[in-house]
Amino acid sequence: MLVLSHARLRRAATDPAAAMSHDIIMLLAAPFAASALFVAIHTNFGLHVLRRGIVFADLALAQMSALGATVAYAAGHAPTSAAGIAYTFLFAAIGAALLTASRVMPKEVQPEAYIGIIYVVATATTIVVVDRSPQGAEHVKQILVGSILAVSASDLPKFAVLYAFIGAIHWLARRPLLAVSEAVHSKTRRSLLWDFVFYSSFSVVVTSSVATAGVLLVFCFLIIPAIIGSLFTRRITYALGIGWLGGVAASAVGLAASFEFELPTGAAMALAFTLMLVIGAVLRGLIFAPAGGRRICIRIFLRAASAMIFMTVLLSAIWLMIMPRADQPMFDLLQSATGIGPATFLAVQDRAVYADALKDAGYRRSQESQLTALEQQSRWQGGGLSDTEVRRIGSFQQTFNEMARGDDFVVKSLSGRARERERWYVGLPLLITSLLGLLTLLPDKWRADPARSRTACLTFLRAFLHVADFVRRLGGEKTESAGDAMIRRSINGGTVSAGPKALTGRCQKTTYGCPDP
Amino acid sequence: MVMASRARLIAIVALCVMTASMHAAFASTRIVVVATTSDVASLASAVGGDVIEVKTIVPPGTDPEAFEPRVSDLSTLSDADLIVRVGLGYDLWIDKLIIQLHRPEFQAGGGRLVDASIGVPLLEARGRTPVTEDGHAHGLGNPHYWLDPANAETVTATIAERIIRLMPAARDTIVANRNRFLATLHERIVAWMQRLAPYRGASLVAYHNSWPYFARRFHLNLVGFIETKEGVAPSVAHLSSLIAEMGQNGVRAILQEAYEPKNFSEMLSARTGAPLVVLAPTVGSVPEARDYLSLMDFNVGALARTLATGSH
Repeated sequence: MLVLSHARLRRAATDPAAAMSHDIIMLLAAPFAASALFVAIHTNFGLHVLRRGIVFADLALAQMSALGATVAYAAGHAPTSAAGIAYTFLFAAIGAALLTASRVMPKEVQPEAYIGIIYVVATATTIVVVDRSPQGAEHVKQILVGSILAVSASDLPKFAVLYAFIGAIHWLARRPLLAVSEAVHSKTRRSLLWDFVFYSSFSVVVTSSVATAGVLLVFCFLIIPAIIGSLFTRRITYALGIGWLGGVAASAVGLAASFEFELPTGAAMALAFTLMLVIGAVLRGLIFAPAGGRRICIRIFLRAASAMIFMTVLLSAIWLMIMPRADQPMFDLLQSATGIGPATFLAVQDRAVYADALKDAGYRRSQESQLTALEQQSRWQGGGLSDTEVRRIGSFQQTFNEMARGDDFVVKSLSGRARERERWYVGLPLLITSLLGLLTLLPDKWRADPARSRTACLTFLRAFLHVADFVRRLGGEKTESAGDAMIRRSINGGTVSAGPKALTGRCQKTTYGCPDP
Repeated sequence: MVMASRARLIAIVALCVMTASMHAAFASTRIVVVATTSDVASLASAVGGDVIEVKTIVPPGTDPEAFEPRVSDLSTLSDADLIVRVGLGYDLWIDKLIIQLHRPEFQAGGGRLVDASIGVPLLEARGRTPVTEDGHAHGLGNPHYWLDPANAETVTATIAERIIRLMPAARDTIVANRNRFLATLHERIVAWMQRLAPYRGASLVAYHNSWPYFARRFHLNLVGFIETKEGVAPSVAHLSSLIAEMGQNGVRAILQEAYEPKNFSEMLSARTGAPLVVLAPTVGSVPEARDYLSLMDFNVGALARTLATGSH
C-alpha cells in the first residue's frame, strides 16, 4: 500500500482518484516512518522494562513530563519554547530520579505500586496546575493523547537524531545496563548510576514519543514488540531485530486498516500490535514444538480454535433464545455479512411496515439534508435568506429529523420482533450444530463412553432450561412490551406513516421545500 | 449644654445610620447576574451597565463545551439574582448546578433563568434533544449564534426584558444602555461587512463547526471541518477527502480557535498552502477580545488580514 508506482504518481496530477490516493500515501508515509523509528528505540527499552518488571513506568514518566509542560505553560512559556522544553525535561528527570529511588524502597513496597503512586501524584498535581491556567488543559490533552497521523516529514530528522544518540549510549553501555536490568530480582548489588542513566534516557524517549503518538500507542511500541522478540530468543540483539520487524509490520497493518475501515489511527494500530502478538505466539508454538510433535501441536491448536468458535456460536445461540431483543453482536455480524436482514423473519404485514419505515427514514433525512445544503449555499450565494426564512427552514429540519427518529424507532422495534422469530429459525439449528460440533471435539475417552456423553448433554439441557426460566421470571408477567404497544398504536393509528407523507407531499411545492405556516 | 451635646450626638448617630442604610439600599439595587460564558456576560453588562454586577462561570480561554464546573461555581451561583445561559445544550452543565441550588425560581419557567438563544434564528437545527447521537451538544441547532453580530440585538433584548422585570425602576437606564450599545453595534456591523465584502464567497475550512453564523453574516463559504467528532482525532480517509475538497474549492484559510489542537490544521496548511488563522470564539479567548464588540473586531480583522495576504 505504501509503495507507489511512477505511473501512478504521474497520473496523480490529472486523475482526481489518483490524486486522492497520492494524498493518502503522503498522509501515511510520515506516520509510518515515525512508527518505525519509535518501534526501534522502544523495543530496546521494552526489553529492559520486561526484565525489570515495571511495565507501567512509561505512564509515570509521561505524566511527569506532562506536569513539566503544564508548569511551563502556567509560568507563561509555550511548551515548544526553550523554557518549555527545559521544564518538561526537568520534571521528566525528577521522575527518573524517583523511579531510580524505587531501589532503596523497603521490599514490602512493590515497584508497580510505587510507580502507580508517582503516576497518581503527577496526574493530581497536573490537574491542580491546569486549574490555574485553563488554556494549559488543551496542551496537556495533546501531550497525553497525541496523534501519530499529525507527524510531518520535517519532524522525522529530529526523532532520528535524538534516538540515534540515545541508541548509541545504550549500545556503548549495553553490558552494565543489561546487567543492572537483569539484577533487579536478584540480591546482587547494582549501581544506582546505571539505573539513573537508564531511567533518564527512558524519560527523554517517552517525553518525545508520548507527545507525538499518545500514551496508548507508546505503551504498545514499548511492550508488544519486546514481548514478540522475547518469545523467540533470550539474546537481546536477536530479540531487538524480531521485535522491530513485528512492530513495523504491525504499524503498516494498523495504518492500512485505519484507512480502509475509517478507524481512529491510534486505536487501530494498538489492535494491530495485539494481532501481531497473537500471530507471534502461534508461530512460537509451531517453531518450538518438540521434534515430531509439530503435527500434534497443529492439531491441538486447530481443536482449541474450533472449540472456541463452537463455544461462541453456542453461547450466542443460547443468548438469542433467552433474550432475543437484547444486543446480539454475533447475529448483527452475520446479518451484515450475509445481507439477510430482519425483514426475512417478519410476518408479511410487519415486513411491509418495516420496509416503509426504512424508506421513510431515508427520505426524511434526504429532505433534511437538502434544506441544510440550501441554507448553507444561501450564506454566500444570492441575496441570502431572511431571519424568518431561516427560522422556517430550522423548524422543518427539526421536524424531518424527529420523524426520521420515529421511523428509526419502528425499524428497531420490528428488528426486535424479527429476532424473536429468528431464535427458532436460526438459534435452534445453530444451538444443535454447535453442540454436535463440541461433541466431536470431546476427548476420545469421553466419546468411547456414550453414557457419560448423554449425562453431560442432559446436565447442559437442564441448566439451559433453568437459566431460561429464571430470565423469563425476571422479565415479569409482561405479555406485550412498551415498544410493541407503541408500534401497534403507530401502525393502527397511522401517526407515524401518514403524517409525514402528507407533509412532505406539500413540501415540494414551495420555494424552500416547506409549506407556509 | 449637656442636653444640646447629647442631641448633637444623637443627630450624628442618626445621620450615620441613615447614610449606612442608604448605602445598603443602593448596594441592594444592584442585582447580581451570573452568566455561563463571557459572551453572554459581556452582552449582559452592555445592557445592565452599573445597575447590575456580572459574574461569569467559564473562565476566559476555556472551551465552554468541555467545561467541568467546580464547587466554587456553586457559591458564585448562590449569590445570583439572575442566571443567563447560552442554551441549545452548549452549557448543559448549568442544569446540574441549578438542581443543587434547590431554588425553584432558577429552574426553567421560574423567571430568573434566561436562555439567551430564545428568538435567535437557528442554523443547522437537528431535533428536540440538545445532545446529538455522537454525544456532542449541537443537537437542537448550532449553538455558536453570538458570532453573528446581528443576533446580539435579539440576545440583548431578551436579557434587558428579564432585568427590567426584576428591577422595574431601572427600566429607563437599561433601555438607554441597550440603545447606546445597539447604535455602536449597527455602525460596527456596517464597517465589518465592508471590511469583509471583498472576500464574499471565500472558501474556508474550520477545525470545529463554530462559525456558521459568522459565515452567514459575512457571506463566507465553510466547505468542511477537520474535527468530525469532539475529542476524536480525524481519520486518514477524512483528512484525505478534506485535502481533495480544499483543492477543488480553492480554500483560502483554515479557521482555528485558540484552545484547539493545532497539529492537524498545521499539517493541512502545509499540504494545501491555505494559511492558518486563529480566531476568537469567545470573549477573553485572546487578549484583544476584551468585550463583545472587540471580539467581533478581532475576528473580522484577523480574517480580513489573512485573506488579504492569502496566496489565491
